[in-house]
Amino acid sequence: MADVVILGAGVAGHTAALHLSRLLPRGHTVTVVSPNSQWNWIPSNIWVGVGTMGKEEVVFPLAPVYARKGIRFLQAKAVAIRPEGDEQSERGAVDITVTGPDGHGEDDRIRYDYLVNATGPQLRFGMTEGLGPDHGNTVSVCTADHAVHAASELEQQIEAMRSGAERTFVVGMGHGTCTCEGAAFEYVFNVDHELRTAGVRDRARVIYLTNEAALGDFGVDGMTFEENGFQTSSELWTASLFRERGVEAILGAHVHRVEPGRVHYETLDGRLHELEFDFGMLLPPFGGVPLHAYARDGSDITDAMFAPNGFMRVDADYTAKPYGDWSGDDWPRTYLAPGYDNVFAVGIAFAPPHQISQPRASPNGTVITPAPPRTGMPSGVMGKTVALTIVDRITHGKDHPAREASMARMGAACVASAGTGMRTGSAASMTMMPVVPDYSRYPTGRDLADTKGELGLSGHWMKLMLHHMFLHKAKGRPGWQFIPE
Amino acid sequence: MTDDTADVPTADLTGAPLPTADTLRKRQSLPLQAYRFAAFSGRIMRMVLKGHH
Repeated sequence: MADVVILGAGVAGHTAALHLSRLLPRGHTVTVVSPNSQWNWIPSNIWVGVGTMGKEEVVFPLAPVYARKGIRFLQAKAVAIRPEGDEQSERGAVDITVTGPDGHGEDDRIRYDYLVNATGPQLRFGMTEGLGPDHGNTVSVCTADHAVHAASELEQQIEAMRSGAERTFVVGMGHGTCTCEGAAFEYVFNVDHELRTAGVRDRARVIYLTNEAALGDFGVDGMTFEENGFQTSSELWTASLFRERGVEAILGAHVHRVEPGRVHYETLDGRLHELEFDFGMLLPPFGGVPLHAYARDGSDITDAMFAPNGFMRVDADYTAKPYGDWSGDDWPRTYLAPGYDNVFAVGIAFAPPHQISQPRASPNGTVITPAPPRTGMPSGVMGKTVALTIVDRITHGKDHPAREASMARMGAACVASAGTGMRTGSAASMTMMPVVPDYSRYPTGRDLADTKGELGLSGHWMKLMLHHMFLHKAKGRPGWQFIPE
Repeated sequence: MTDDTADVPTADLTGAPLPTADTLRKRQSLPLQAYRFAAFSGRIMRMVLKGHH
């Protein structure tokens, strides 16, 4: 009988857990370790952040779902991995610290036969002085609680504008190496939409501040679309929306620090700037959740298993090479940690071999390049893929070939809300195939038949449908397994 | 470093195409958007079938 341990209960980890519980024969165990007691459909946090959706609509408690599915749930954070075991046993182990109410702060060591690291991001607000809602001067929509706070702050600004005040809103990326530009894109247009709905848009200056060198980059080096017999770029397509909605854009920016009401940033030309604001929502850079790794003799192997940014190394080609030599083949396929045939890292937790967007730095050496996104659809696919590999190996033997799901072979859909309302909402709906461009197969890097973008009300319906579908799936309700990742 | 704090350079978007009134109307048209909803759903499913496993 095998014990599978999954670290993290986000999209990747939770998907893996549900599929494992569905597919593994009786007797094997699946354990999820997560410091959070609730599951959060993060793509809808932007709606919570403008007050059009309640927190209770984007979160639900994990314990009842796991109890129903026969999954053991430990509300705890992992602090160390021992892939070779320890002095007591050669079985792999994870050191955890309980974060839940039962035994809070207690340490434990749990054994595994297969380990999935799906710990998600560490929100590194501390990388930029004055960033974030807890110890800084900006709001965030990274968590449901952050989003509730953001909505409250936004409402206060709207109230002041109703009384005639003018306000500046800055939304975007709080560091030159941030990822998730799509979320900031969604939030800025939802703020714009709410200001219009409140009848105060004419008293607002709305600015999108981003580390992207061009609009429409989205951390994937932009996209080429085929439209009406012409090839056009996601840059032009996105810029059209910004112009139509009167949203200004500051591009290629690295935020150095945020004071109350003032953001200090550097642009790719090396110049320093200041921007005064009344409401700021700037996302933090992501790092890996800090985990140590130890060999059986107790020696520290953290540097071997993890990249300096805290993400776990997997079967990618991490050789440093210039942008022109980057290839889709650099990207991982099986998500197995080198040297271990039973340790995987998926979702944000795996270390990407390099960015997808062209790397850039200012003349001062400040790196201003979006980090590669690996959330949402690709995360779910990775979670399911490693679950299937584990099921194969448990049922057919440890040497069974691992399943593959390279981001250079898989597509992704991104529906970026630009405002809510069943009659008045809109969204930018995009599909791309593959996520990592492959110029050896496609002249534009991607398959033009599957790489599309469109704006309209149907995008809002789509995002709302995905919200309900993925909550249904995550709750493991009847038929959940037929909903694609 | 050049300190240019007085200036807040924003991107020049005047070259971006503005949608016509007809395009804006189509983006909110219920029948057309219902069709686009079905078309986009089909595209996602095709991608899922082509690209996953």
